[in-house]
Amino acid sequence: MNTDQILIVVAISAYIVSTLAFLNYLLSGVEISKRIGIPFAALGCAVQFSELVYRWQTSHIWPLTNLYGSLSLFAAMSVLIFILFAMKYNLWFMGGFVLCIAAGFLAYALTWNEGYLPAVPALQSYWIKIHVPLVVSSYAAFMVAFVSAILYLIKYYGEQSLEGGGQRTVAMQPAGAGGAPLGGMELRTTMTQTAPRSIIVGDAPYLEQAAQQGNTLALWLATLPTLAKLDILTYRIVAVGLPLLTLGIITGAWWAKEAWGAYWQWDPKETAALFSWIVYAMYMHLHTRNGWRGLRCAWLAAFGFITIMFCYLGVNIWVSGLHSYKM
Amino acid sequence: MTASTAPDKAPLGEQARELYRAFLNQISDFWFGMLLLAVWGVMTLIGVVVDQGKDPSFYLTTYPAALGRLVLRLHLENIYHSSGYVAMIGLIIACMTLATFKRVIPNRLPRLHPVKIDKIPLNATVEMPGDPETVRGRIEAFFAQRGWLVRKREAGGVEWTFADKYNWARKGVLIAHVGFVIIAAGTTMYWAWGYSGQTTIVSGTTATIDQNGAKFQLDRFAYRIDPIQTRSGTVFQPIDYVSYLHVTGKDGVSRAAVLRVNQPLDIDGTNYYQASYGFAVPFTITRDGVPVAGTPSGPLKEGEGFGIGQTSRSVRYSRFVGTIDPRGGIGADPRPNNPGVALDFFDGDQPIGQVLVPLERGLDLGNGYRLNVGRYVLYSGIQYRHDPGIPLVGIGAFVLLAGLCISFYFLPARLYVRVDEAAQGVRVGIAATTVKGYEIFEEQFQSLVEALRREAQPPSAPRRAAVTVAEGVS
Repeated sequence: MNTDQILIVVAISAYIVSTLAFLNYLLSGVEISKRIGIPFAALGCAVQFSELVYRWQTSHIWPLTNLYGSLSLFAAMSVLIFILFAMKYNLWFMGGFVLCIAAGFLAYALTWNEGYLPAVPALQSYWIKIHVPLVVSSYAAFMVAFVSAILYLIKYYGEQSLEGGGQRTVAMQPAGAGGAPLGGMELRTTMTQTAPRSIIVGDAPYLEQAAQQGNTLALWLATLPTLAKLDILTYRIVAVGLPLLTLGIITGAWWAKEAWGAYWQWDPKETAALFSWIVYAMYMHLHTRNGWRGLRCAWLAAFGFITIMFCYLGVNIWVSGLHSYKM
Repeated sequence: MTASTAPDKAPLGEQARELYRAFLNQISDFWFGMLLLAVWGVMTLIGVVVDQGKDPSFYLTTYPAALGRLVLRLHLENIYHSSGYVAMIGLIIACMTLATFKRVIPNRLPRLHPVKIDKIPLNATVEMPGDPETVRGRIEAFFAQRGWLVRKREAGGVEWTFADKYNWARKGVLIAHVGFVIIAAGTTMYWAWGYSGQTTIVSGTTATIDQNGAKFQLDRFAYRIDPIQTRSGTVFQPIDYVSYLHVTGKDGVSRAAVLRVNQPLDIDGTNYYQASYGFAVPFTITRDGVPVAGTPSGPLKEGEGFGIGQTSRSVRYSRFVGTIDPRGGIGADPRPNNPGVALDFFDGDQPIGQVLVPLERGLDLGNGYRLNVGRYVLYSGIQYRHDPGIPLVGIGAFVLLAGLCISFYFLPARLYVRVDEAAQGVRVGIAATTVKGYEIFEEQFQSLVEALRREAQPPSAPRRAAVTVAEGVS
């Protein structure tokens, strides 16, 4: 194994450990799991960036000229953006999902790793050092927003299922029956640490009721922030991703003007990015409406990330065009 | 009858104005705008999925028959330049403009008016020592220190304090929409006054650009393709394409110039780009050793062809082959080591076969006809574009981005503060509204109230002793 491969193995291993630790934190609320997950996430991220820098230094070829480099940066930026947001908004509960996806993408990137391949003339431009990191960072931000939206949906439909079976749950587990498992009690204890109560919108009453009865799902859902907070969280991350995507499209257009003679060629990659941009622009508009804030916007954010994946991988791999740089 | 019904009917002018108002309301409606965005998105996605700008036969042969016919009937093969797509963008711009001026700006600049504090979800009550006037002064200083714009109004005998933050950011939506309109204006400038095209120049020859008369003489074309060893085998990677030219612009002076990918030339406001290159090959046809009339005079580029004498047959130069494998196939190396050409033969419109012919060799076509293939000469493909709208598009893009950033990262918020006398000291009621709902401001509001509780007391007063915070839950 050469240094390059060792660094990748270290990064993937760190992500896997971090994923398991964060998932344990999410499910059990054990604080030590979070404390294990954070340094491993940071380690994996740092090692990944080191690996990209190492490739650049040893080959003198900018590492983002192929799908491997791009996917690798995507994984690293996802983790970095997650860590930054988690530090500001205490989002460590999402870590298991984000790290798992990052590890998956890094593993997938390896299948495209053909070694050191110099850039084709169209990619020999300083714009590649601006455009690609911006666009990939926006994809990474949308991935974190996607996880947040999915957690919203899980919590929403979880609450719905509890509401539907609420009477039954209460009847089967009467108050004071002592049926709550120990883990559940721990969850209840940590609930206030991870999800401070909102003065505006708290958890649904039946969720609290079911949690008090020891319902495992309710106890787990109660550890997540309130739906309103998850919604705002998704909004805040999309609010980072959309300007990055806009700037990425602008810099890409600028580069296209220098390389191909026109800033907009209606190339499938450009139009797929435009489609994603429209979806997220709709998200930001619709989020101003009370009726759309929450469930519908969560679905839209999830759909938005699917369009991003289509733009990122689908167009590169399946659709031929000016952006068909697979290797 | 006429006399009795006349007063019920509005005058024609009034009806027209009403209709006009209804039209404007419809165009500027939020949901109408969202519908337009959705339709724009779907049309854009269709263009991603359906191959664009291909020959009709491509859709009929490549796609399932029904889908191919559907694509052609609905003109989806060129959707981005269809009148429907352009109209959609035009409608979106109209909707954005009207919505900005009719709805966004008026709605986002609310007047300073009193509110029922406990009816606003974000509210808090703080009891503080001191007389109302002193406390009001301290509160105003507290907000002003934190960058809030403080204003006072009296309503119904009660003095209200209003504090606004990032009021200017209410213009973010306007700025973003203006950016979009500027981009559209820049694009329109290209349609109105711009032009573009492409030309190919064989080494040693000169090409003239029709639109501006600029002359390009290709002295030499050079390329570099390196064999790179990858994990899945050897890849021949293009490294560089470069045209060495002499260019004559409007001043009539010929200048040496080098044209590379990513390094366009600007000649008299028109940009020239290194777009492609190829191998031009001369062909001659003889019959019984005598040249046949109709043979092309110069070398042909890939895709070009000619008829074979007086026969119904023709030949097309399909592609250049860098390396002909000694066993007869096409080698992987695109560089001209053992070069040849792939030729397609037709009888009328019907293809009758493909042949690989080494350069500087001949091919017996039968009936005394012989096709001779000469040595290749490199040609350069140059793209050009004159786009007077580019500065405007660039400005518009950054205005759009600035508008997005202002809208997303600066949250205009307003605080409503009312100070009332209480049994001991005063009771300060605070409520907050923002342009993006309440949840997004909740944490900031809580910390603001906490800070007020800590700092708005006189230094001598015992901390927390006389202060309570009651956060509202509506």
